[in-house]
Amino acid sequence: MAETLINLVQVTKHYRRDTIDIPVLDNIDLEIARGEFLALMGPSGSGKTTLLNLIAGIDKPNSGRVVIDGKDIAKLNEQQLAKWRARHVGFIFQLYNLIPVLSAFENVELPLLLTNLSKKKRREHVMTALSVVGLEDREHHYPRQLSGGQEQRVAIARAIVTDPSLLVADEPTGDLDAKSAEEILDLIKRLNEEFHKTIIMVTHDPRAASHAHAVVHLEKGLLSKTGGVYEVPAAHH
Amino acid sequence: MKFLRLIIKNIGRNKRRTLLTVLSVSVSVFLLATMQAVVAALSSTSQTPGGEYRVIVKRNTSLADAMPESYEQKIQQVPGVIAVCPANWFGGIYKEDKPFYTFAQFYVDAKTIFDVHPEFQIPPEEKAAFQQERTAAIAGKKLADKYGWKIGDVIQIRTPYFPLEARLILRGIYTGPQEATFFFHRAYVEEASGRPGLVGTYRVRLDSPESAARVMEEIDRMFYNSTAPTKTETEAAFAASFVAMLGNVKGLITGVGLIVVFTITLIGANTMAMSARERFTEVAVMKALGFRPGLILTLMLSEAVLIALLGGVLAAVGAKVFYQFVGMGDMMALFLQNFKINNVTILLALVASALIGLVSGGIPAWNAARIRIVDGLRRVG
Repeated sequence: MAETLINLVQVTKHYRRDTIDIPVLDNIDLEIARGEFLALMGPSGSGKTTLLNLIAGIDKPNSGRVVIDGKDIAKLNEQQLAKWRARHVGFIFQLYNLIPVLSAFENVELPLLLTNLSKKKRREHVMTALSVVGLEDREHHYPRQLSGGQEQRVAIARAIVTDPSLLVADEPTGDLDAKSAEEILDLIKRLNEEFHKTIIMVTHDPRAASHAHAVVHLEKGLLSKTGGVYEVPAAHH
Repeated sequence: MKFLRLIIKNIGRNKRRTLLTVLSVSVSVFLLATMQAVVAALSSTSQTPGGEYRVIVKRNTSLADAMPESYEQKIQQVPGVIAVCPANWFGGIYKEDKPFYTFAQFYVDAKTIFDVHPEFQIPPEEKAAFQQERTAAIAGKKLADKYGWKIGDVIQIRTPYFPLEARLILRGIYTGPQEATFFFHRAYVEEASGRPGLVGTYRVRLDSPESAARVMEEIDRMFYNSTAPTKTETEAAFAASFVAMLGNVKGLITGVGLIVVFTITLIGANTMAMSARERFTEVAVMKALGFRPGLILTLMLSEAVLIALLGGVLAAVGAKVFYQFVGMGDMMALFLQNFKINNVTILLALVASALIGLVSGGIPAWNAARIRIVDGLRRVG
């Protein structure tokens, strides 16, 4: 049996708008194994991005436990969470979210500025990450000089440059054409298979989800199957 | 240092806005530096070399009132007095009635002026030529340089106070303090104006600074019951009272300077706030990557301080060049003898600009540091 990396226990999340309480996640239980590639699907407002944010440590639940690699990150304060994210999580966003004034190299280097690595070591790491995504020849290019697919590759290089165990991707192909989307999904899949990254990907797109090992459906803050049992696409079996 | 490139890249994000901010800070800090230099010059009028050896006798009513010239001999008799030089303000117009042609002119006793002001450095032959000739004049080097005067030049000055157009010959150029001043013979004006025998001030040289209090008291007591009672002051106090006649100039200048700095701080704060708002999502991404709020705060404050410091450096260099190398300082020095952009002024300019950066960047940086990641990521663009 695969080792559990992520364990959500009775996680509840609701937002407050003025005086109105808006429930988003309701007593979610979910276990995700190390090395898993999981797609989170569901209609808009179902809470999938919120669930992803909780797992990535950029939001906190109102109740319940979010245990990642044995540590309940819901109990960490902001400083501790920042440090934890820097070491353990890589982020891939729908709109890439690269810093426009930084070159591809500098964007990928950004998370490494938080480490004690020397300039030389940082360079080595960045070039390795860029080579993994096939953009080592674009290190001096700025985001505006890259295509959408290339920007997302740089964002992926930034996500993996610190060698995190967990990659979270929120609609990583949502802003790309079909061809670029397919390339990005192949790359993400490769990160999972070759580099053994645990990947959680939020997507609307069933084709994108079909690349994952497993799919979790969220509907009105509830997992589609009690206890977080995955619906596994037939293509993988 | 590893974050320096990130800071510089962010500063260069909107070059036009950064340039305008730098320029606005530099202009305001330039004004502040100028005002500080003026205040320093006003304060330092009492610090003329050798000034502690001098007291100034004037009427107790006003500088506009005069004393009889007979006082000179009486003052000379006071123990502790080494030399006495009557000096009157001439207030003449050289060439045109414009600020550029305005400078300090005194008609004095040509024999004793150097006894009272031994710090004036003048070649002996020029000094002798000045003392021997009634139409002779001497000028400080700054003044001579400004108008391109040479020894032997004829300088004509007319005054509204006498029916007189003084036609004077430059016989000497001195260096030392008060280099923007022009002296000529009291005897010349006396003769040309019908010998009124009136003296505006007596410059008195003492044997030691310790004699000052006693000598001042004795002089004023001597003339207490006369038709022209005196008020004797140290040179420093005289200079200070002269400045005081302008009202609370220092306070006014300092106030204007602070208002300028405050205004530019508000403008800077608005600029930084705009910059921070534009980067709402970016900051959220950086925080998601692990940048802590304190680091975000530091980075954004560093940006603001660096931009302001750029303005400060530009202002300091600009002031130095403008007032010293281009020669504007000489013009200022005609009114304020000790006006100069010194290291203290430059340091003040840099500190002021850094403070402008810190204060203007403070709130936007604080807000950026407190951005909730989920809010920042939710915002598109």
